[in-house]
Amino acid sequence: MTFAPFLALDGLVKHFGATKALDGADLAIEAGSVHALVGENGAGKSTLIKTLSGLYQPDAGTIRLDGAPVTIDGPRAAEAMGLRFIHQELNLVPHFDAVGNAWIGRRHPRRGPFIDGRAMRAKVAEVAARIAPDLPLDRPAARLTPGQRQMAEIVRALMEPARLVVMDEPTSSLSEGEAERLHAVVRQLAAEGCAVLFISHRLDEVLDLCGRYTVLRNGRTVGAGAIAEIDRAGLVARMSGQGTLGTGSGEPSLPLRERVGERGTTSVSPVESFASPAFPHPNPPHKGEGASGQKPVLAADLAFGPAGSRIAMQLRPGEIVGLYGLVGAGRSSLLRTLWGATPGRGLIAIDGQVPGHGPAGRIARGMAYVPEDRRREGLALALSIEDNLALAHLADFRARRSLPLPSKAKIRAFAKRTGDRLRLVAAGPDSSPATLSGGNQQKLLFGRWLGRPIRVLLVDEPTRGVDVGAKGEIHAEMRRIASDGAAVLMATSDIEELAALSTRVLVLHAGRLVAELDGASLTRAAVVAAAFGHAPDEPRPPSELSA
Amino acid sequence: MILFRRYGTLFALALIVLVFAVASPQAFGTVSNLVNITQQMSLLAIVAIGATLVMVLGEFDLSVSAVVSFAGISAAALFAAGVPIAIVMLAVLAASLAMGAVSGFLVARYRVPSFIATLAFGTVIGGLTFWISNGATLFSGIPAVFRDLGRGTILGVPVPTLWLAGVAVVFWLLLDKTEFGRRLYAIGGNREAARLVGLPVRRDMVVAFALCAALAGLAGLLLTARLGSAHPTGGGGYLLQAYAAVFLGMTAFREGEPSVPGTLVGAAIIAVVSNGLTILGVPSFLQDLLTGAIILAAVLVRNVAREER
Repeated sequence: MTFAPFLALDGLVKHFGATKALDGADLAIEAGSVHALVGENGAGKSTLIKTLSGLYQPDAGTIRLDGAPVTIDGPRAAEAMGLRFIHQELNLVPHFDAVGNAWIGRRHPRRGPFIDGRAMRAKVAEVAARIAPDLPLDRPAARLTPGQRQMAEIVRALMEPARLVVMDEPTSSLSEGEAERLHAVVRQLAAEGCAVLFISHRLDEVLDLCGRYTVLRNGRTVGAGAIAEIDRAGLVARMSGQGTLGTGSGEPSLPLRERVGERGTTSVSPVESFASPAFPHPNPPHKGEGASGQKPVLAADLAFGPAGSRIAMQLRPGEIVGLYGLVGAGRSSLLRTLWGATPGRGLIAIDGQVPGHGPAGRIARGMAYVPEDRRREGLALALSIEDNLALAHLADFRARRSLPLPSKAKIRAFAKRTGDRLRLVAAGPDSSPATLSGGNQQKLLFGRWLGRPIRVLLVDEPTRGVDVGAKGEIHAEMRRIASDGAAVLMATSDIEELAALSTRVLVLHAGRLVAELDGASLTRAAVVAAAFGHAPDEPRPPSELSA
Repeated sequence: MILFRRYGTLFALALIVLVFAVASPQAFGTVSNLVNITQQMSLLAIVAIGATLVMVLGEFDLSVSAVVSFAGISAAALFAAGVPIAIVMLAVLAASLAMGAVSGFLVARYRVPSFIATLAFGTVIGGLTFWISNGATLFSGIPAVFRDLGRGTILGVPVPTLWLAGVAVVFWLLLDKTEFGRRLYAIGGNREAARLVGLPVRRDMVVAFALCAALAGLAGLLLTARLGSAHPTGGGGYLLQAYAAVFLGMTAFREGEPSVPGTLVGAAIIAVVSNGLTILGVPSFLQDLLTGAIILAAVLVRNVAREER
């Protein structure tokens, strides 16, 4: 079988500041094939798609169409080349019907000076008849089902001859029946000679539907080939960076250039690489002695998330517990429920005591929280850096205990101490936190809690968008907080970070706790498999859940 | 240049004063006129300081002029019924405070956009005010002692100026020097972040709206005292001017955040322009035109300066 791609991406590199989103990504697609693009959160799939659609320009690498190098300088250029994109968040105008949506951005047919509604509808009906004859053309997109919206997007993509349709997680919000319907359409497109690049976290679907695959990890292509020559275990192994290949998998057509952990500074700082052994060896508990014998500092048994699923957990002093899951698995929602920021039903106890209502009650018991989105959920940009540091414990900075008048001197002294401890780089304590780099903003959010002993620290994505140096410093700070006797619960999408810090890992999938891994069971492959909803060996629901 | 950029609005105030003083040295540039200006700006500035509190939260209270009218009318009505001065003042201030608390509760608890909540509630208050007064101007039974609160002088300083000074100092301290003030700026800067670090966001918002309305109520009392009468739309002019003062003040200090000193500068600019143009005999429509142009110019200058940075 000859492999003759019409579209080839070679060695694409894309930086965002210090972060390498793409670091040698290759992708080759044959005409009329269904090609799977898989990888963990943050592997670079979205960046790759956005580069292909002309939204980002690659810093290095080439894109060839029919063998000739091309520059895709914008979405119009991509469209002209016959490339179509159906993004994860669908981009339909809610109050337009399928006809109106299909014509957005195109030259509408006219009769005299007026738009010819009848001709518009006729053209859309012609396309829809081929793909989705039962799609209601006159109903506003807002009132279509998720599956019908996907069909409307596909109809829009095929209004003019297309060579490739990229679908980003098209089935993630579809019911089983709708997903099957979509699969049929994908097969039909391929049969008509239009290639489909199919991005999905559902590996069964990928294995069933696609002809070829490409695996991205850390912005780099780490595997590609024919689906017939690989199985699920092989895909998981490539995604998670385990060198071992599952049975039945052929040789990867691209070499596994490096193993994770040997990649130097691109995502793992020097501090971590010696401080922590990589998986599969579990990190030692940070308190020295076996943490398992100690009394839990946090015990929770509560319902969280839109599904309201129940989770029971205990955190012990000195341990850093990782919380892993794919986007939308419910990590942030669980943390916010623990923090009392979103209401949840259930029980929570800190040092055996039930905390008061909401974040204020948690704070009074020594809990701390570093949110995911530092700009939206973390910083008060109207206040100075030092005032932001003082915000969580304002009453601690009174000149006199009985009067609610903050002492500038005390705040400044705290800001100085905290800044030194965290190596906060700032123009001055008076300047706005908006002037700080992402890493320093993140440090500020940690520093906010350092005025009092921390019992439980909840962290959501501690180092997203943070440069390498600050990342190492933040990791060191989290270890220090843990070794001072706090329990740390850290949600992260970054498997390197998870490996570097966690002594134990909880994995969420679709809003439920599906695995609790520690000791020998804690391996990269097990974490990734659980996150994708596949238990590798024995299905192991955590024992606490039986309650 | 940095100084100018930072304190441009203060320079503008100084420049305006200078221009009027040169144009009309006998009438404008006298000590007595300048003292008079502090009296003329006092009610506006008190209302504007209240509006500042709510603006710090990033919200609007559009019911301030309705509360001014309500306070003026209800004070006059209570005096007509023979109620003692102290009780009248306390009752009117308490009622105003409660009205603000209601607005604040609607905004904080039910997330009604403050624009709509206070517009609607202000209309309710306006209706209430007409009901109390039957639409008439009230002027009977207002005691002379009470009237002195709005027009007398102490050691040559007009009493309204003293009220303003007191209010300004108290609220400047409140916003700049207390935990409450920090919390308001934090909530205004990032409500979600404030909630997540455990600040009592709802309570603080209710308190800020209540204080804003209480200050409007105080202004209403002083208005009735100064005029010796109360009209059901007596506070009508204060709404836009108060927010104009706050916006002008936001250009004065502190990188575009509302503040009490800034609002004072803003109110002073409005009062000086009005006073100076009146002395020069400029028709009132031109005064409006110029005042509006000054506000636009101040905001434009600030935004252009920001873009350059």
